Amino acid sequence: MSTASIPTVASTPTTPTTPSPAGTAAIVTAEHVSKWYGQVIGLNDVSVSVPPGVTGLLGPNGAGKSTFMKLITGQLRPSKGAIKVLGEPIWRNPKIYFQIGFCPEQDAFYERMTGLEWVRALVRLNGLDEKAADEAARRALASVDLMEAAGKKIGAYSKGMRQRVKMAQALVHDPQLLILDEPLSGMDPIGRRRTIRLIRDWGRAGKSIIVSSHILHEIESMTSNILLINNGRILAEGDVHQIRELIDEHPHTIYVRAEQPLRIAREFLEKPEDDVRSMKFEPGAVIVETGKPDAFYARVTEMAASGEFGAIDEVTSPDDNLQAVFQYLVK
Amino acid sequence: MATTPTQPPGYFSSALRVFDLSVGEMLWSRRTIFMALVVGAPVLIALVLRLLDALGAPVFRVNGMQVAGPAVFGMMIWFFYLRFTIPVLGVFYGTSLIADEVEDKTITYLFTRPVPKGAVLLGKYLAYMACTVFVVLPSVVIVYLCIVPMRGSLGASFLDLVKDLTLLAIGLAVYGAVFAVIGARFKRPLLAGLIFIFGWEQVALAFPGYLKRFTVAYYLQALVPHAMPNDGIVSLIQSFFRENPPLGEALFWLFAILLGFLWIAVVSVERKEYVLEQ
Amino acid sequence: MPIHDQSYRHYGGGRAPVGRSWLIIAWAGIWTFLRKRAFLGLLFGSLIPFLVRAAQFWGSANMPQLASLAPDASTFRRFLEYQSFWVFVITVYVGAGLIANDRRANALQIYLSKPLMRSEYILGKLAVLFSFLALVTLVPTLLLLLLKVAFDGNFTFLKNNLFLIPAITISALLQVLLASFTMLALSSLSKSARYVGILYVGITFFTSAIYGALYAITGSSRVSWISIGADLEQVVDVIFRLKPRYATPWQVSLLVIVGLIAVSISILERRVRGVEVVT
Repeated sequence: MSTASIPTVASTPTTPTTPSPAGTAAIVTAEHVSKWYGQVIGLNDVSVSVPPGVTGLLGPNGAGKSTFMKLITGQLRPSKGAIKVLGEPIWRNPKIYFQIGFCPEQDAFYERMTGLEWVRALVRLNGLDEKAADEAARRALASVDLMEAAGKKIGAYSKGMRQRVKMAQALVHDPQLLILDEPLSGMDPIGRRRTIRLIRDWGRAGKSIIVSSHILHEIESMTSNILLINNGRILAEGDVHQIRELIDEHPHTIYVRAEQPLRIAREFLEKPEDDVRSMKFEPGAVIVETGKPDAFYARVTEMAASGEFGAIDEVTSPDDNLQAVFQYLVK
Repeated sequence: MATTPTQPPGYFSSALRVFDLSVGEMLWSRRTIFMALVVGAPVLIALVLRLLDALGAPVFRVNGMQVAGPAVFGMMIWFFYLRFTIPVLGVFYGTSLIADEVEDKTITYLFTRPVPKGAVLLGKYLAYMACTVFVVLPSVVIVYLCIVPMRGSLGASFLDLVKDLTLLAIGLAVYGAVFAVIGARFKRPLLAGLIFIFGWEQVALAFPGYLKRFTVAYYLQALVPHAMPNDGIVSLIQSFFRENPPLGEALFWLFAILLGFLWIAVVSVERKEYVLEQ
Repeated sequence: MPIHDQSYRHYGGGRAPVGRSWLIIAWAGIWTFLRKRAFLGLLFGSLIPFLVRAAQFWGSANMPQLASLAPDASTFRRFLEYQSFWVFVITVYVGAGLIANDRRANALQIYLSKPLMRSEYILGKLAVLFSFLALVTLVPTLLLLLLKVAFDGNFTFLKNNLFLIPAITISALLQVLLASFTMLALSSLSKSARYVGILYVGITFFTSAIYGALYAITGSSRVSWISIGADLEQVVDVIFRLKPRYATPWQVSLLVIVGLIAVSISILERRVRGVEVVT
């Protein structure tokens, strides 16, 4: 793990995230927050500001994601420090739930109720009358493609339907902030794709969303703004690409597919300024590890333009993704 | 999308909405099936006794003496409802108001809505009252209709029935509030509740002095319109030291206990963290 | 340099004979409870009556002024009766979650996918509850008998009351087996340990309440067979050669107890399965 300071980048989300809603005040701020359960530390001196937009909370199992989720939804009180959501303390502040919708991880429902009855009963707790609650519940169920099964008991729902009805109750009151704890858990691939699309649509519509997962490519497909957590501590926050760049001691891996890979490799080795750390060959390609990616890219571009080294068909970095960042930071 | 309210419903309005959500779940839960069996037993017994009496069997004879229907009804109220059904239902439901939701992991949905946590408890308490009152009281009425007409008069005993129904409803309310606190504060509320009813209350009522004032049964017994029979050593000892408070005082303290314990339960739930099992 | 094989290696050590798996389950269950301080406190509390009785026996044997406190056969009967409170509490504390927690965690499928028979699983769970209940009934009562002999310094009492050894054993076993089987059967019916506890308490007090009401109405204890507690008291009175306290024939009470155990076994047989067949 790099000994550089924890990469913190001002959030500039790129696609597929949304433009920030009006105002850039943080939606969640945690100041020196710790939470312990007896002798077990769930979160350890966490200070973080989550900006508006879609933010992915990423970490392995047992990292502290659920603890963090429970703290920002007011289910738990910090043992130390303070948490504010939308500028207000969350603990024992029920009014703030007008603006928050929470989709918990656990698969728990009132199984005897139908999806419509359940969502309607919950939105009534927001102060809606019967008629308004019914309309809101129907809209929410329609938005998650569950209107056809709205009259069926939740006990008869499939796993994917249960996840969707959970999301319906989270957004039925049109909250400003959606907090989704492992929303894709147990879903089939079609369901996952549909939910990811929904989350991106909500983000584009101006909602702020905090979504937690331990599955990297899912988070990557929803947002590039992430919060990495492990062992109860924040490892990194901000745009994944910029985090990657900041980890400068970690060499970048670059894949070059070319007509004459051996010749290109020889050229790389002859130039110490390319800072080639290691090299590997595949049929028709060379994979290079370099400590100076920018200089290296420039070099490859020159070589391609000169034509002296044969055709260079592809230059990619399998490294410039969340998986690589995460593995490096968590190591 | 239509504008949603930005002000939360009032405290009691929130509690009523939670009541709406909970009463169906509570009524059709397995716990209520058990309750229905419990209150169905005296109805069954009453019907069997009525049938046996009609067939000429010597069922209402104690030590060779004929016992009238109203006296038998009083005994059933005392033994079955007051000393068993009411406290036990109070324990079973009262200790589980929030615990059931925590165990089922549905508490999250209620605590992440713009309603105070105390209102959630209050709503569940009201649902408990609705479920128990509307199951127990009809059972009492059926037993009354079966038993009292035998060497007794329905009209003459009607006032006693009303007093009994009121007494049982108050008992359900007060025990429910007491056990709501036990459920909110203790890790093993069922054991604590049973020790309270079958341990503490029995012992405190047997001793002379002020100890008995720290029980619910002391004040409830003051409301009983019937003579209370003895069924064993403990109740015999209790009868030696029985002193009933005046009716007004008993009602005052019962309502004070009800409101006081409900308030404690509400405050406990507001301040407590509920960590769900992973 | 030799390269060591990193692949999977089959276990080549010794294996316990088939049929001993229940011991593993039993020991794991017992150890789980022994690690809880609250439970140890409960166990200690349950042994306080034993200490009081032991002091009584010593006093009556060594101090002439306390000779009137000398025990007889009924003393041991009464001791077992007083311990029934602790039997109740420990049964609820230990027994409610024995199978219910496994059902909740879907662990039954895991257990029964191993080379473990259902009977071994049930036996193992039964052994957990049985051990603790025997610890508060059979063991202290037999120890009291031993202490009586030890404090007297002779075997006179034992020779005059030789029936006490089988009486204590059979009565304690009856009490423990009834509680264990009933609680285990209830535990197999639900996924909630709390609900199982409620059911057990309800059934125990419900039957007593019904009997109480009928006794008050009819003035006769012939209906005592309705109360499970009364059935046990009746049979144990007979085992200790005491006058039965109820008018119900003791054979009827015994039949109720045996019937209850049989029904519990039947419930366990149906409920403890690796899969649930939904039709």
